[in-house]
Amino acid sequence: MDFDDSPDEAEYRSRVRAALQQHADELLRLAPGQEAVDARLQEAEMRRTQRVLHDAGLVGVTWPREYGGQGGSLLEQAIVGQELARFRVPALINHIGMGMCGPTVIGHGSQDQRDRYLARLLRADDVWCQLFSEPASGSDLAALRTTAVRDGDDWVVNGQKVWTTLAHVSDYGILLTRTDPEKPKHAGLTMFVVDMHAPGVTVRPLRQMGGQSDFNEVFFDDVRIPDSERLGEPGEGWRVALTTLMNERVTIGGAGSAIGSPVEEFARHAKERLPELDADRQVLARQAVGRAVVAALGARYTGYRRLTVLSQGGIPGPEASAGKLAGTEAAHLMADAGVRLLGDDAVYAATADGDDRWQRTQSWLPGISIAGGTDQVLRNILGERVLGLPSEPRLDKTAPFSAGRSDGGTR
Amino acid sequence: MNFDLDDDQHAFAAGARDFFRGSASPAAARAGLEGGALEPGRKSLADIGFLGITVPESAGGSGRPLLDLAVVAEQGGAVLAGPSLVTAARAAVLLADAPDLAAQLADGSTAFAVLDGSVEGSAPSVDAADATLFLGLDGGALVVGEGEVVPGRPLDATRGLASVRLTSRRVLAEDAGELWARARQVGAVVMAAEDLGGADRCVQLGVAYAQEREAFGRRIGSYQAIKHLLVDAWVGVEQLRSLVWWAAWAADCNPAELPLAASAAKACAATTFERAASTLIQVHGGIGFTWEHDAHLFWRRAKVDRLLLGDEAEHLDAVARLAVSGALGA
Repeated sequence: MDFDDSPDEAEYRSRVRAALQQHADELLRLAPGQEAVDARLQEAEMRRTQRVLHDAGLVGVTWPREYGGQGGSLLEQAIVGQELARFRVPALINHIGMGMCGPTVIGHGSQDQRDRYLARLLRADDVWCQLFSEPASGSDLAALRTTAVRDGDDWVVNGQKVWTTLAHVSDYGILLTRTDPEKPKHAGLTMFVVDMHAPGVTVRPLRQMGGQSDFNEVFFDDVRIPDSERLGEPGEGWRVALTTLMNERVTIGGAGSAIGSPVEEFARHAKERLPELDADRQVLARQAVGRAVVAALGARYTGYRRLTVLSQGGIPGPEASAGKLAGTEAAHLMADAGVRLLGDDAVYAATADGDDRWQRTQSWLPGISIAGGTDQVLRNILGERVLGLPSEPRLDKTAPFSAGRSDGGTR
Repeated sequence: MNFDLDDDQHAFAAGARDFFRGSASPAAARAGLEGGALEPGRKSLADIGFLGITVPESAGGSGRPLLDLAVVAEQGGAVLAGPSLVTAARAAVLLADAPDLAAQLADGSTAFAVLDGSVEGSAPSVDAADATLFLGLDGGALVVGEGEVVPGRPLDATRGLASVRLTSRRVLAEDAGELWARARQVGAVVMAAEDLGGADRCVQLGVAYAQEREAFGRRIGSYQAIKHLLVDAWVGVEQLRSLVWWAAWAADCNPAELPLAASAAKACAATTFERAASTLIQVHGGIGFTWEHDAHLFWRRAKVDRLLLGDEAEHLDAVARLAVSGALGA
């Protein structure tokens, strides 16, 4: 057991730091107190930042060299992540592409697709999004209704996707469609790469409860996709999607990185604000601070255990869902305590000096309990796939999708 | 970065599991409530070397890191073994400069207990009920002596709780405040490790029952109401495991981090074990509420341990104070 860098890791870390220093002027960096950037307003800088980092060898660390990656280890990836955070570089614009779309193309795409897409994805020459959820299929993803119908060498797509992060700046997306409604719901799906600039694709931003617009609804009206853009066989879309989803759960809250602010930042905030409170309230606030710190440290060190397993050749399994669940819980506890520490100002959307870090986090976290697997879906996955509990009976699992959703006679 | 047990520690854990399963059980914890003896008992623990894991080799121990002891303690906790390895770990720290006494600790020839609170009338202290020689803090000095033992009616018999008034005392070290605090932190880590074992076992037992028991025509584990209870308990156990390992590692390799890590582990242990034990009862329904079922024995241990060596509120307060004073680093 050893938390320090090995000599190799320390060497790598100092090279990463040197590279960041060298390119400091070309990188988009967060101002003090700033948590995120708006891809709508700063798309060009975000693309440039990722390109600069890529050319410095800091993007796609674990990806194979043949696809533009560095062929490095998960620990090297974790070091890069830590140093980017330390250098206050915001999340890269193609985080969906790198976390979910890219691994899906690597796993199920043709050689031609891999050659055409992956290196450009890593350089943010193309930005990617993930077109899965629909108005009538969120957690029940396999109930999706967007259709793709074969027409000569093409498929013709009609339908609507929703909650699509980054669709408004994306060049490509991975798109899950129903190609055979006569098959049971999981068996009639097919995955494609779709050109987001193709005729018939319409992207409309949605405004989130916190006021930001990170996600979108996307409409497909007779959009033609060449058959060569299929990922996996027709009818194999569910299996392909599982690759995406498993990578998603590792990406969010995996491997010891915090969801939201790191615990150190929370501690600094507590240090500043605790003395401002009445003595009686300080006692209560310390309980909340302590509880949040314990949760954050538990999630962090559990992530380190998972990272250790993965770095020794382990495969990301369903237990990664526990990392998202615990990380989300810790983030909620920190945000709640972080806001309460503001005292009377906690009822406003920002403090008098304009600082809204903790309020913004507070209004953003409800989305994290939903995105990438709701807390409840993750509990089902953990209960069934890790603890081995029986699954919920599903009334619609074997019937043809076209027969409609069985409701057990209650509707 | 390598945050996993090594092969030796995995082997150690497997050996400890076999030993404890063969020598202790919740049934003994139940019998203890009606006057039965602790199992495996002091002699067995000494014979297999568990009381001296962290005692230096020069004093007849194994001179191993605390992490090794924590790994063993988890296995003891899974079967509610007694006496507690908390006492062995804590006394080993206090007796670092008293090799004769440390040797008696390791070979089990003397029954030690470490007293919390005043030596003129201690707080209920772990393993004091059967002990013959007591370690206490007396005006800043570490003292050892004999005492008058007053046990209470046990909520959980496996902890051997009793209050003690020292009837004789000899100073082992003046100005022992820091040593005492470190020993208590080490004790908290080992108790968290025992609680980890207990909580983990609760989840296993609850899952096993939910896989078999049927209601409304299907197995109850298929219902999300039951499934999510068990998953939340399990996720808690995994967080606790990480904090226990980190805290034990800190005691061995990064002592500056021990106060934060020990308090984090102990606070987490209090809620995690309580939740796991409550879940175990709830998943079983009526049968889990009976004297004959093992569930209440875990629940009893959880209800007692959460208050020993500092309750959750004390440790959360310590974590908060340490965190805002920079214990997390830059």
